[in-house]
Amino acid sequence: VKSELHFDVVVIGAGTAGLVAATRLAQSGARVCVIAKGIGSTHLAPATIDVLGYAPELVDEVVPALERLIESRPDHPYALVGPDTVAEATSWFARTVSDGPLPGYVYVGELKRNLRLPSALGALRPSALVPETMAAGDAARLSRVGIVGSPALRDFHPGLCAANLTAAGIDARPVNLELALDRADANALGIARLFDDPGWRARFCAELSPALRAEEHVGLPAMLGLRDPHGVLADLESRLGRGVFEIPTLPPSVPGMRMYEILRHTLRAAGGRLVLGPAVTAHRRDGDRVTAVSTRAAGHEVNYAAPWFVLAAGGFASGAIELDSHWLTHERVLGLRLRGLPGAGEPRFVSDAFAEQPMARVGVAVKDDLRAEGVENVVVAGAALPGAAPWREHSGEGIALASGYRAAQVIAGGLAARAKATV
Amino acid sequence: VVTLSTDVLVIGGGATGAGVAWDAALRGLDVVLVDRADLAEGTSGRFHGLLHSGGRYAVKDPRAAEECIGENRILRRVAADAIEDTGGLFVTTPWDDPDYADRFARGCADTGVDCEEIPVAQALRDEPRLSRDISRAFRVPDASIDVWKTVWALAHGAQQRGARILPYHEVTQVHRSNGGGAVTGARARDVRTREDVEIHADVTVNAAGAWAGQVADLAGIEGVRVLPGRGIMIAMGHRLVNTVINRCQLPSDGDILVPIRTVSVIGTTDEHTDDPDDQMVRGDEVDRMLNDGEKLVPGFRQARALRVWTGVRPLFEDAKASETETRDVTRAHALLDHRRRDGVSGFVTITGGKLTTFRLMAAETVDAVCRQLGTTRACRTDTEPLPGSESGQTYRLGERLARKEAHLRDEQLVCECELVARSTLEEAIARTGSTNLDDIRRRLRLGMGPCQGGFCIYRAAGIMHGLDGISVEQADGSLIAFLQERWKGIWPVLYGDQLRQARLDDWIFQGILDVEHLPS
Repeated sequence: VKSELHFDVVVIGAGTAGLVAATRLAQSGARVCVIAKGIGSTHLAPATIDVLGYAPELVDEVVPALERLIESRPDHPYALVGPDTVAEATSWFARTVSDGPLPGYVYVGELKRNLRLPSALGALRPSALVPETMAAGDAARLSRVGIVGSPALRDFHPGLCAANLTAAGIDARPVNLELALDRADANALGIARLFDDPGWRARFCAELSPALRAEEHVGLPAMLGLRDPHGVLADLESRLGRGVFEIPTLPPSVPGMRMYEILRHTLRAAGGRLVLGPAVTAHRRDGDRVTAVSTRAAGHEVNYAAPWFVLAAGGFASGAIELDSHWLTHERVLGLRLRGLPGAGEPRFVSDAFAEQPMARVGVAVKDDLRAEGVENVVVAGAALPGAAPWREHSGEGIALASGYRAAQVIAGGLAARAKATV
Repeated sequence: VVTLSTDVLVIGGGATGAGVAWDAALRGLDVVLVDRADLAEGTSGRFHGLLHSGGRYAVKDPRAAEECIGENRILRRVAADAIEDTGGLFVTTPWDDPDYADRFARGCADTGVDCEEIPVAQALRDEPRLSRDISRAFRVPDASIDVWKTVWALAHGAQQRGARILPYHEVTQVHRSNGGGAVTGARARDVRTREDVEIHADVTVNAAGAWAGQVADLAGIEGVRVLPGRGIMIAMGHRLVNTVINRCQLPSDGDILVPIRTVSVIGTTDEHTDDPDDQMVRGDEVDRMLNDGEKLVPGFRQARALRVWTGVRPLFEDAKASETETRDVTRAHALLDHRRRDGVSGFVTITGGKLTTFRLMAAETVDAVCRQLGTTRACRTDTEPLPGSESGQTYRLGERLARKEAHLRDEQLVCECELVARSTLEEAIARTGSTNLDDIRRRLRLGMGPCQGGFCIYRAAGIMHGLDGISVEQADGSLIAFLQERWKGIWPVLYGDQLRQARLDDWIFQGILDVEHLPS
């Protein structure tokens, strides 16, 4: 069985970059379809918008650090999109969250200064823009804190977190609760669903309240509800009479699921389509243009034809870029050319786990406007881009957001030119 | 300085040294064992896990084959808990000399190795991933053996009978008596606390394996030359086969695939090195090994390679042997009674050999010890089961999962890949007193599965920190050291889906936890 669908733009990948590009294009009136073999990085990442955290020293003021990075690394994704796009994209994102489906839920922070939020290990992670549910953890304002966990929560260890915060000069201590969960294993997602229930919150606060010191903030693993985190936060703060904040921990990420839901909702509201499940198995080309990609599922082949494509399928982590056992590297979706590979005979990795690895900055070779080299109508966004080491720089979400945003601009311009030509 | 006195001091805590300790303790001797690192951290812990049937040596070295099959039968009884009865196959691939198969069958018959030729179709039914191009198949009683379980059981059994086991005690001096005619013990330093221990012993056993030459040097004994033979092994993230697969050819590189616990291990290479601490892995060796895997199991290169490691065999050459004696470098074990060889009493060296014959080596060694002590005591390790093996029931894959499933609601899993429960982890940290997560890994297999510690090591560090007396610096340091140590075995075989996994781990440790910027 075969069928063919036609769109203005087909976006491959449903992580932050793909969803942002698709949403922006749908909002500009284009007929957009996102296809992805599965959900993207959102469910793994803390959902903070880390624009630039280390360069390689800790970044305090983001904009000047960004400008220095762009100067020293002209091949960096930020150099291609430019600082203005980063600023526009982050403010668009903040508005999108505020206008989104989670009532009252907002992101706070600005590009001027990085916030520094406790990690589950008690390091202070630099982030530009964060969910309001994390904001009270900013080290600049945090003097006294109880880090709350439970032995049932294996993905969060308040003692170790608090001890490292103490070493950073914050008056922190662990608070362990029983949480009557009736099982030895619980994860943040399961508890987040409980937090959506006011009865659970009342019982939770009744157990926690007596254990708190005066003027002590409360840090919790990121699990303050999926449906109404703003309401959950407000309720906890009023019941406990103090600031409360979330600390991101091991996947799955509750704030990441919220972020995915906000973007998915906004895309749908603007008329975009989202097809999750089938991977791209083939594509058609006509000279230097891709004309269609195909997916195959349950014996059914579907061709998605469009004048424009966004490749936002990710890098090595998602499997969109592969290093095989013969040490050859491939972009597996469209077979695009790569950049940043170590030369023949040079090492791919080095023995120091914490050194920058020679393979770190591999990505799809692109022109200045993010179009893939050798292909006129494929724009690349997110972790597929070369030139960055996002987990070291703490720049992944910022790059995804800004390059997704920029990809939409490039294509919107192309579509407008074509419409004009048709008229 | 702490002073200890004992009948027997054993230097070296691999399978041989621990085996000597167990054997001597069973004979009622007082034992102290020291190792410069953790038990089984050297050659023993760095092998493929194959308990030989003897088939591998049936043509080339009939005596080794006889020893292997004898020990194989004994260990299945006394070390049952550490052994999985996988069975083994010798298969003739298109790359093997077709005439070897008949010589192999004859060799097995001559040496008493149980061997049955089976139709190729049956071998392929039993092992469907095996290459369709094999032309002959022989079934032998190979098995896989968990060396860590074995060594802990040996040490534990010895301790129950009064032995003192001192890991992380590096020998700094071996003492000779005034006249020089006897070794009287050794001085060892606890590498963790820097405290010295003075050990007086009637007999000292040098069971340092590839490092035996260095220990003999400390004792001032000449000509004990151990040529370290370096071999690499790669653990694949699945049971690609459930039977030990051997190429039916003269022993060579990359011709064994061993299913052990949740993985399969391919091995090995053999290359001379000057330094027993040489753990180098070369890219071309990895590539050859993957090609060899492909010959046995087509699609091998698409499977996940978890990690690679190097083991160093002790190949013994006696530089003091007379001209008439053979001077071949030998893979058989060598027992040197230095009273006879050098006129120095109270000192015995055991080196060479293979894991499968460790018990036999230990028995012969303790016989020599008894001779020096002027006592006759019979060896009992061939009948006395090790702790945990009393039932005689061999390990079955799935055993641990079944045990865990019975308690899923009330037991927290810290490591999902290897099914390690929180209570097990806490108990191991308390029992060993170790804050080294890598030591814990060898005991519990924590972090040895596909995610290589990605999810469990943060949890383990947090749990460790929650125990009494463990500082934040120790917990953070142990976490970081674990990641560094793991990476050593990961990066030379990092490709395909395992690279995806490594990237996820990067996101977790650097992106989410920011482990590189800890205030402590």
